[in-house]
Amino acid sequence: MRKAFYVAAVIATALGSGAAMAADYPSKSVDYVIPFGPGGESDVTARLQQPYFKDKFGQDLVVSYKPGGGGAVGWSQLNGMGGDGHSIMGINLPHIVVKPKQGEVGFQTEDVTAVYMFHYTPDAIVVNANSNLKSLQDLVDYAKANPKRLTMSGSGKGTANHLAQVIFDQMAYIETTYVAFKGTGAAVTALLGNQVAAEWGYTTVGAKQGDKVRMLAVAMEERHPAFPDVPTFKELGYDMVSGAYRGIAVPKSTPEDVRQALSGMIAEINADPAFQKQMLDGGFAMVDVAYGADMDAFMAEKSTEYLAAAKNADVID
Amino acid sequence: MFDYLIAAFSPFNILLAVLGVAAGTVIGSIPGLTATMAVAVLVPITFSMQPDSALILMGAIYTGAIYGGAYAAILLNTPGTPSAIATTFDGYPMAKRGDGDLAISIACLSSVVGGLIGALALLFLAPPLADAALAFGPVEYFWLAVFGLSLIAALSDGDFLKGVIAACFGLLLAMIGISETSAEVRFTFGSNTLLGGIEVVSALIGLYCIPVLIDLVATPDRHLNPPEAQRGIRLPEALKTLARNKWNLLRSSVIGTFVGALPGAGGSIAGLVAYSEARRSAKDSNAYGKGEPGGVIATESANNATVGGGFIPTLVLGIPGTPPDAVILGALLVQGVRTGPTLFTDGANIVYTFIFGLLLATLLMLPVGLLIGRFAYGAIVRAPKSALVPIVAFMTVIGAFAIRNSLSDVLIMIVLGIVGWVASKRGFSVSPIVLGLILGRIAEQGFVQSWTIGEALGDLWGQFFGRPLSLVIIAMTLITFIYPFAPKIKGLLRGKNNGAGQQSERASWPAIASELVSLLAFALIAGIVLVQSGALNAEAAVFPQTIAWGMAVFVVIAIVRLLTTRHVSAMASGGSVARRTAVPVIMLATVGLVPLLGFGAAGAVMGLALIFVAQYEKQSLRATCILVACVVAVIAAFTLGFRNVLDVPLPGGLF
Repeated sequence: MRKAFYVAAVIATALGSGAAMAADYPSKSVDYVIPFGPGGESDVTARLQQPYFKDKFGQDLVVSYKPGGGGAVGWSQLNGMGGDGHSIMGINLPHIVVKPKQGEVGFQTEDVTAVYMFHYTPDAIVVNANSNLKSLQDLVDYAKANPKRLTMSGSGKGTANHLAQVIFDQMAYIETTYVAFKGTGAAVTALLGNQVAAEWGYTTVGAKQGDKVRMLAVAMEERHPAFPDVPTFKELGYDMVSGAYRGIAVPKSTPEDVRQALSGMIAEINADPAFQKQMLDGGFAMVDVAYGADMDAFMAEKSTEYLAAAKNADVID
Repeated sequence: MFDYLIAAFSPFNILLAVLGVAAGTVIGSIPGLTATMAVAVLVPITFSMQPDSALILMGAIYTGAIYGGAYAAILLNTPGTPSAIATTFDGYPMAKRGDGDLAISIACLSSVVGGLIGALALLFLAPPLADAALAFGPVEYFWLAVFGLSLIAALSDGDFLKGVIAACFGLLLAMIGISETSAEVRFTFGSNTLLGGIEVVSALIGLYCIPVLIDLVATPDRHLNPPEAQRGIRLPEALKTLARNKWNLLRSSVIGTFVGALPGAGGSIAGLVAYSEARRSAKDSNAYGKGEPGGVIATESANNATVGGGFIPTLVLGIPGTPPDAVILGALLVQGVRTGPTLFTDGANIVYTFIFGLLLATLLMLPVGLLIGRFAYGAIVRAPKSALVPIVAFMTVIGAFAIRNSLSDVLIMIVLGIVGWVASKRGFSVSPIVLGLILGRIAEQGFVQSWTIGEALGDLWGQFFGRPLSLVIIAMTLITFIYPFAPKIKGLLRGKNNGAGQQSERASWPAIASELVSLLAFALIAGIVLVQSGALNAEAAVFPQTIAWGMAVFVVIAIVRLLTTRHVSAMASGGSVARRTAVPVIMLATVGLVPLLGFGAAGAVMGLALIFVAQYEKQSLRATCILVACVVAVIAAFTLGFRNVLDVPLPGGLF
């Protein structure tokens, strides 16, 4: 009898605390860990979310960095963080899908509880403004005439940039040389200095570099509102819609209702027209993948796609 | 342009600049708290400010932090920020002999001059310098790293061969973790901790500071020689020294500005390059490394010049020149300021207000820096050893943690500290290891990228040796490498072999045996790397393999030399072995205690234990109580400050 009473009490407390958690979540500042260094796309978009979070939910969103191993250091520690929703971490696709297949990196894709994907940076081929390559057709023609000779910089190996290069080379029946740099900044520097012929970058590069560079095509369904003159790959006959997707994950121990609540909160920020404008001006593209069935379907679809490309790129076995 | 000047010098902005410089100086002086972190913490505060005020505040903190890094370098032999690595080479020997106050004043003056030159370059030469920086491709970065490595000859404490072996070891340490250019996991031995590689700042703290702590407790001697009389800040003397070194000062500031403008190089490399050039062109190169003020002048003017220099690519190209610039760039974007080619025309008012603000902050660094410097020097010189050791030890632990919020980095820091101590006692100085660690990744990336590009263009040779800029750097490297051997070469040409001059004393066989053991340890490391590289793809393996082969060859030469000359260049280590061993053991135990007790409580336990280890004289109960109370209070204050002000998620527990 007594025992039953205790059990009931414990269950009641557990339920009660769970309910209380979601109701008054967030009850203190939320620690937002970016598994990269400052200045990259993950950092910038987190910084853009920061003021809206404070405005809408009354608590600070505190951004901190845990760089290393192309994100692996952060993600391998994700599930060790507190599970009350006040510790959250940025996540990136294809990284969380491809990394664990490349070796022992301390986490598996399934260990990452994705709660919301809020934007992506569409892949784009960028050339220096003074380059002879005026269009995508120019680039393809040059590459066909000079196999392997066209050098393209990009951020890292097994990354969105690298996979895009592999996928496009196959689609266009060309062979280009991919040169991996540490981060988008270094890849752009190499392009601006004419160290490479072109770059596999994102639309954000076009937004940042203005008329110093020219984007030949973007991997989106429709043209990016900030670049109405840049064609999509689809228009030019290459069925390619891809990029790096970014979102937020929580530790496994985070209760279901808190996950739901957080997902709703990020969606609310995403729906704010002022936030959308800032994102689009920066060259980002919005997506809304909420926690639950949507997320599961999205992750499954993207995993298949990325793993196939990574196999072709020889970055995984 | 005059309007911008007035806008920058509004009372509110001046107040921000003063606060920023002071806060930055304090933050920079704490090993582990970097300029990057200081600026990152500020970002949310700046959201509620005007963009120009926000920029001035961040610029002031940044420039203050780079200067503050000199304090720890001079007084504790530990660079407070990586930019101050080369400040330790001469700053610490100066402090040791009682000239710490002079060194700090010289560092302050040099930082102001360097900062001004960097900021003026930003004001007048930004677009052309940005274009010049773009001419630096992967090959040039590779050769720049090799040039940095040429400092080994100067930093190996007389034994060049051992310096090269130590540098190879440092280069291999830099290869640990996931490789940026090939995405392969390397040399982690299955440890998740090592996935992200060895964090440079925590490695610096370990390699430089832990050996100082270990040696500090071994004897009752004072940490630094106290000055003979109260001499204040010794400003006239410092000014005279600067005047004597005016070319050095100017050259180093220019080097700092240009290296700062290279995205991908940064303050540490600027300081090293300027130091190397200062040493080479000095009348008496041999004085460098033994407390020559010129070394402090070179490094400190160069690293503060990188602040202005680093903003050049940040503002002109939208590409951060240094890590703190990356944070500032992000903050600007949130503010709606678009950096990049159009900023200097469209956003001119913000840019010029900011540059004038930066000049203002740099000037303010003179009074603020001298004042804080005087206080810091007094505190370190006067503090009894039994207070200094526990507090500095706690600072190293909390600083190493704060870089990536990771207890593993603390562990790596302590282990590297032990490695550094043992190595330096065996005659392998620490600085070449650090050089390898810092330059390794830059060298490897540059090498692999150049190789890939060269192969694609079908012109490998031209890629590495055919570019004019590369040839200039290669020539500079050769000169720096050969220069220290010039007297020996002259001797050889005259037919005299004075190379083995002082090696007449022959070591005992036990000494030779232990020397052999340490050389074989390095051979073992090379062997492990070679075996493990076999499983990697070519891109990931080529660089570590080459280094490991080189290291193995140098070890063999060293062994042959040892057996033929029977000369051992190890350092005697007198003093208490028990106390010495206690320092790293207690610190390692603390890492174990943190998850149980919380960071502050474990730190306090460590502090108490280290008071006991560092205490030589018998003290009254009252004095002991005061000492304990002070140490615990400082540790508590640090814990609270890190946790609440800097938002570092220190493990909780009891405290």
